[in-house]
Amino acid sequence: MASDVATVFAPTSAGRRRKARLFVILAAAAFILALIPLIAVFGYIFVNGVHSLLSIDFLIQDPPADLSATGGGVRNALIGTLEMTGLATLIAVPIGLAVAVFAIEVGGGLARAARFLIDVLAGLPSIVVGIFVYTSVVVTQGHFSGLAGSLALAIVMLPVVTVSAEEILRLTPRPIAEGARALGLARWRAVLSVFVPIGLSGIVTGILLGVSRAIGETAPLIFTSLGNNFFTLDINQPMQALPLLIYRNALNSGFATARDRAFGAALLLIIIVFGFNLVGRWLTARRRLAGSSR
Amino acid sequence: MTESAGLPEPNALGLGGLRRRRWTGDLTFRAVLSVLTVAITAILGVMMVESFISASPVYQKFGIIGFVTGGTWAPSFTVYGAWAFIYGTLLTSLLALVIAVPVSVLIALLLTELAPARLRAPLGIAVDLLAAVPSVVYGLWGLLVLVPAMRPLEQGIAGTLGRVIPFFGPPTPGSSYFAAGVILAVMIVPIVSAVTREVFASTPRLQREAVLALGGTRWDVARTVTLPIGRAGLLAAVVLGLGRAMGETIAVTMVIGNSDNIGKSIFSPGFTLASVIANEFNEATETLHPEALIALGTVLLVMSVLVNGAAIAIRNRFTGGSRSGF
Repeated sequence: MASDVATVFAPTSAGRRRKARLFVILAAAAFILALIPLIAVFGYIFVNGVHSLLSIDFLIQDPPADLSATGGGVRNALIGTLEMTGLATLIAVPIGLAVAVFAIEVGGGLARAARFLIDVLAGLPSIVVGIFVYTSVVVTQGHFSGLAGSLALAIVMLPVVTVSAEEILRLTPRPIAEGARALGLARWRAVLSVFVPIGLSGIVTGILLGVSRAIGETAPLIFTSLGNNFFTLDINQPMQALPLLIYRNALNSGFATARDRAFGAALLLIIIVFGFNLVGRWLTARRRLAGSSR
Repeated sequence: MTESAGLPEPNALGLGGLRRRRWTGDLTFRAVLSVLTVAITAILGVMMVESFISASPVYQKFGIIGFVTGGTWAPSFTVYGAWAFIYGTLLTSLLALVIAVPVSVLIALLLTELAPARLRAPLGIAVDLLAAVPSVVYGLWGLLVLVPAMRPLEQGIAGTLGRVIPFFGPPTPGSSYFAAGVILAVMIVPIVSAVTREVFASTPRLQREAVLALGGTRWDVARTVTLPIGRAGLLAAVVLGLGRAMGETIAVTMVIGNSDNIGKSIFSPGFTLASVIANEFNEATETLHPEALIALGTVLLVMSVLVNGAAIAIRNRFTGGSRSGF
């Protein structure tokens, strides 16, 4: 292919220039095409959901027992989502960081096995994760629970946290790593008081992206936390979550009230998810800027 | 940084003592890390095995081959075969790839070669945000907006092409394999374009500049440098997108129409592996029905491990094993 450079790069003819222009136009069109759904989804949910969110009752009342009845809010789902995701974060972050540090500091066969498993997990459909937790926790306990839901969300978050933490820790500038060594710091001390603080914003970004992924998950919760029409804080009870509430109400979208509830909850969920996501990205962007100015 | 004040006097502590203290510290540190890593590896391993054990009655009754290739799914007669759902999973995922891959490649080229440098990061974030929208929200939009909006298009194709090829023929009720494929395409564009973008960005700068210096256009750069060099990475991105599409659950469940039978047309309702599990699980009361759904989950597990394993292998062979973007 490279042998006939002369024929490939003859003086820029009108035809080749036209091809190049067509290429630019196509690429721009593809970008716009991809953004249409983003804008359409956000606009549609916003227009239909904003009036629900404007009333405080939507946040502090529970939904009516009958989906088709009017009034009520999504308090049970909002609290359930926050409680289960919070617990999942508390489980996933220490384990994820430990596996990342283990892979870097210790290495060897065990580290490779763990990392392989994390890679497998990263590509696993979240519904399969739900089945794992169902067969090993829900069946064993004999009932659905918020705890089972948290475990499923923790497993969904784990690969995101681990992969990003490992990547960031590997990027620790060599002179700093050597400096820590030269100061005679023990390895654990170097990790905890040098490497982790340096990579902190990147690690936090990974955690926030993991949280934003877990918060929007529906599939693993169907078999684990199940959903609950009533408000509960007890993690041993079935627990409602915003995605579950949207799913169940959307399937009854023949009722205008159910549809409106789904829209309001969807807008609330999007705001929460985008919030975590954008704050995470902003942290990384700020870090890049700080790094490049050095 | 007030730590230095707390450091012991050098002569208050023999070198041997320092060494021993560091040694026990590192030993504890390693022990904690090892215990956590072993524990999570064991727990995840046990969970995987547990799901196969739960599914084993179904595999014993129908045989692994019999279950996977069985064309009938009739819970009320205790007959379970997975083929209709495997077909649905493959059909919708491939459809999604056909739509999403060209769009993703063009976006990746735009964001690595064509767009002004200062616009690249914000435009990239916009594409990434597509991946942040929860599946259930896509499903809600798909169900109430996309499916009705696509009806004229579907009727058009079914009325013309469908007269000749039954695969594109009626019925056109709205919710269908086609609708699921379109929603999946929207959902995998961010992952495919993100990985592709990274691959394209790592093509040697000198070669690109050489083509420009020879008087080549941007299209010549893409055609002679970026695409040929990035081919393997692009393949990895496509396979990764396939893995994502196969496992997507809720959005697909809401637009695929939910039918236990194989639809002959791309416009007929069906099920994917993931969506039949999500849809039937909470009402699975017939004999072996829950076990059969778990067995479908194990089929999906094996399929996605194979596909993602292939993606990782391709990437490691050709791009030297950078993990980012995955």
